[in-house]
Amino acid sequence: MLAESLYIDWNNSFEVLNKAYDAGLFVLIIGPKGTGKTTLVREFAAKTNRKLESVNFSLRTRESHLVGAKTLEGGAIGFEEGILVKSMKEGDILYLDEINAAEADVLLRLDEALDDRRQLVLKESGGELIQASKGWFVIATINPLTHVGTKELPPQILSRFPIRIRLEYPPEEIELQIVKKYISGSHDKELLQAIKLANILRQAASVEELYYSPSLRETIAFGKMLDSDVRPRHAAEIIFANIYSQWGNVEYQKVNDIITSMFGN
Amino acid sequence: MQSLHLRNDTLLEIATFLVRRWSEKHKMTVGIADQQEIQTKLKENKIIMFPLDRFYGIDFQKYRQFRTALWYESMRLKYSSKILSNDHAFGFLLNTLETRRIESLGRKEWRGMDEEIIFNYGFAWLYRPLLNSLYGKSRIVEGFSQYFLLGDIKGEITPSSFEKIKKAIEVADEAVNQAVNNNYGTDWLEVKVSEIIKILEIDPLLTIPISIPKISSGIAISDNDFIKTIGKITKFRESDFGELDPKRITEGKSVFEEFKVLLQETKKNENRGLSTESIGISIPSSTNVDETRIYDEDLISNLKAKFKEWKTGWKEQHVIAGDEFDEEAYMEGHKSFLTDQKISIKTKIVILLDHSSSIANEELQYKKATLALCEVLSFLKIKFTVYAFNTEQKQVTCWLVKPENVKWNNVAAKRLAQIKANGGTPLAEVYSIMFPGLRSKKPDIFLTLTDGEPSDPDAVRSMVTSFKLLGIRMVAIGVGPDTTAATIIANNLKHLGYESTLAVSRLNDIPNRVLNVLGRS
Repeated sequence: MLAESLYIDWNNSFEVLNKAYDAGLFVLIIGPKGTGKTTLVREFAAKTNRKLESVNFSLRTRESHLVGAKTLEGGAIGFEEGILVKSMKEGDILYLDEINAAEADVLLRLDEALDDRRQLVLKESGGELIQASKGWFVIATINPLTHVGTKELPPQILSRFPIRIRLEYPPEEIELQIVKKYISGSHDKELLQAIKLANILRQAASVEELYYSPSLRETIAFGKMLDSDVRPRHAAEIIFANIYSQWGNVEYQKVNDIITSMFGN
Repeated sequence: MQSLHLRNDTLLEIATFLVRRWSEKHKMTVGIADQQEIQTKLKENKIIMFPLDRFYGIDFQKYRQFRTALWYESMRLKYSSKILSNDHAFGFLLNTLETRRIESLGRKEWRGMDEEIIFNYGFAWLYRPLLNSLYGKSRIVEGFSQYFLLGDIKGEITPSSFEKIKKAIEVADEAVNQAVNNNYGTDWLEVKVSEIIKILEIDPLLTIPISIPKISSGIAISDNDFIKTIGKITKFRESDFGELDPKRITEGKSVFEEFKVLLQETKKNENRGLSTESIGISIPSSTNVDETRIYDEDLISNLKAKFKEWKTGWKEQHVIAGDEFDEEAYMEGHKSFLTDQKISIKTKIVILLDHSSSIANEELQYKKATLALCEVLSFLKIKFTVYAFNTEQKQVTCWLVKPENVKWNNVAAKRLAQIKANGGTPLAEVYSIMFPGLRSKKPDIFLTLTDGEPSDPDAVRSMVTSFKLLGIRMVAIGVGPDTTAATIIANNLKHLGYESTLAVSRLNDIPNRVLNVLGRS
């Protein structure tokens, strides 16, 4: 049985995803971390009853992770299919998380599979031609460029994803509803304060006045702390302020002071 | 009693951060200038505070007033559409009403400010003038302001004036309540000021003297007296603020942590040994400068994106033996293993920025490019120091923009923003001023950005040799208006003994060039 949905579709992303799926167009989701991109995709897969294969890209993701690699078993050379090949054959949903963290050679290989023919020549396995099954659907996400370790996606890759969904942090009211899905107590007033605080810090991080931008995960953690009877001021300090002390006392104090002026002592 | 001088740069850094968050305007700048009143300029996005030592009480109390004043100004920035001058009755009264309006609006969000607001009122009560010390009609205006904000008047006033004040306050209270409840702005309140002026029977253009307290600042009053004053204010504002504990307010524990950080920073940065001034290096001191105009956000984020690989500290390379086998490379006959190599830029670098008159035409662009360079160096956590020089009244000055032990921040940007491009290029003289300092600090690279030939080439050659003898790598970057000019400058610089010289014709290439020099080292 499906667990109760935790995702609130506040900007009609499901509708866009559905329409893109029906039209066979791939989707790119753009937004900072912790805005619920992965939750959205998981939820979409569950709703449409499709299998979801995911890759989380990093600088260390290799072509072989996607396409597959040769194996040596009992003296015979075999080939183990990577996630890209598998999902193409099965016609699953392929989720490429943080695709802009991938290296150029990996992107090149992806590009081959993503073009209109939806096919891939497996030079690793005797030049076998993989044709994507009907229903193969690819969703990728990228973080904004300011995010450390990300780079601009080359235009040819961008054009493979003609449908683009922007997922920003939700409005305060919606974020409150989301957080409330994860907690049991009722602390609306304090939660709204924390969401406001998170938004202030996000804003400061977006103009690079802070090194870190809190995500929805943090506001949810705040709610959970309140559930365990931690005082709001204290919870705010441990969740939102302490992280900044790694950049020195002054950075920490700046944030802590915002917390003081919000929650008092 | 503490008599510590809080460092203005840490103070300003925190103040600017707070103001930007409180007012939700991220281009705001905060300056400190020696003036009588706090000034907020809406159009220029600027708050100019007076120095901390002009506030009352001991250092901690001064800081609390400074911080609360900043909060009020931030709320003004957020909620007011105009701020009039306090020197005439109309402006003074409008600002008084606005103080209450923005306070009510601000408190909805910034609930933690309650105690600080009351604390601030406590000091306001102590240091506002006695009414009988004021002359003429300004007395009734001050009386109105005291009664409206603090719930009482100090000193004496005629019964008929007092009646007028009470009547005016009824109108004022009602007006502010309506404004807050219905989201009416400054313009709406402004109309009400005319009504109040009529009730008080004064001329709207009546001059209001800036109130200067009779008690000189710095005298601490006893805690008990102060708690009593706070008690009085909390009673007056109980309907708005609820019950508050005067003793707790007096202690101000919540803000003390913040103050402690300021003290620690002050101690940490206290100069050891010779001060920069005594060796002829000056620090640009004006804080009343808008540094946001030299920020080129696009250039900065482009550079950060470009060099972010350096930040991870790792670079992938093909080698003969390594962590991961790369089949393709093997088949193609290249080195077949992959390994991550640590790249670190432990280099200590000193940068000297030429501010001679020849860059005056492109001063802004030049500053934007050099500021972007500093932002990226700081982003990559490279240890660097920035100096600049210019000549004023035939006297060359060597400016310290960013010391080595202080983080790059908007205060350093303020310093860079205020150095005027002027004069010639007496490079050897500047070098000789910097020499003693660099001899002890011994950076790995000394990078000079200049746009022309020095006026004293022979002396420069000998100074460059002296630096090289200390083991410092001397690099010069020639900045010219076009490729040919830049190359000529760079070529000429080569003859002065620099280990490497580079030419830059597009100012925005400066950061790239400098970083590439570092990458190679």
